[in-house]
Amino acid sequence: MDLNKSIGNATQEIFQTMLMMEAQPGQQLTKRDEVFKDSVSAIVGMAGTGKAILAIHIPEPTALVITGSFLMMEVTEIDEDVKDAIGELANMVAGSVKADLTEQGHDFRLSIPSVVCGAEYEIDCPCDSDGVIVPFSIDGGDFLVEFHVQK
Amino acid sequence: MAKKVLIIDDSNTMRKIVTRSLRQAGLDFDTILEAGDGQAALDVLAGESVDIILSDINMPVMDGIEFLRQKQANDKIKDIPVVMITTEAGADILDQAKSLGAAGSIKKPFTPDQIQETLGGLL
Repeated sequence: MDLNKSIGNATQEIFQTMLMMEAQPGQQLTKRDEVFKDSVSAIVGMAGTGKAILAIHIPEPTALVITGSFLMMEVTEIDEDVKDAIGELANMVAGSVKADLTEQGHDFRLSIPSVVCGAEYEIDCPCDSDGVIVPFSIDGGDFLVEFHVQK
Repeated sequence: MAKKVLIIDDSNTMRKIVTRSLRQAGLDFDTILEAGDGQAALDVLAGESVDIILSDINMPVMDGIEFLRQKQANDKIKDIPVVMITTEAGADILDQAKSLGAAGSIKKPFTPDQIQETLGGLL
């Protein structure tokens, strides 16, 4: 299964359908950052026939743009609405990727999204995993979507 | 006739999006009630009568499947149609929801047209 394509299609569909925005995928990254600064990250765990995580990392200004588009209002600070919106975004991307994995014979259940934000924080991922990291550009900033399946 | 809808989703953002989509779909409910999980929805339904329920599946405290189970066991509310709005579009979960009385399902992300198409026949 082409995870890069699955993440790209899922993210683009969500932005087109629910945010009325275009999300342009970039070249897949080969190295992941573990430390994020002034950002909002949402993580959805997947468990079943294997273990996986899907995470979205969004710089704060871009998170404000995305949340404002979701809620159709101006959002000026990182608050519970922003954390909720970015969590729901990760939930929808994870749901679409899960559907593609199910077609390949995998059986996963999704966790409730966890959201972290702050001036500087670290997010680990399973070191023995296969994964993809896809950067996206929208009118208002950039963000990353990463997906890792434990080997 | 005044129409009431109950939206169940743990995401405040998604409840607002569903509310907006109902209006965009031309489905003008007089009253839109909200609940953050299945238990909160049962609490709302203990005091309010609604015409239709839109429910997420993957929620904390009480998920959408357990909500359907408890609703089916309650004679006062078991006949209210429920449409699942969820990222959990797996056939196994949706079959389970259907067997517990769900009248339909809509996959996130969705458009107002999809909302109209699914709910139109149930109202």
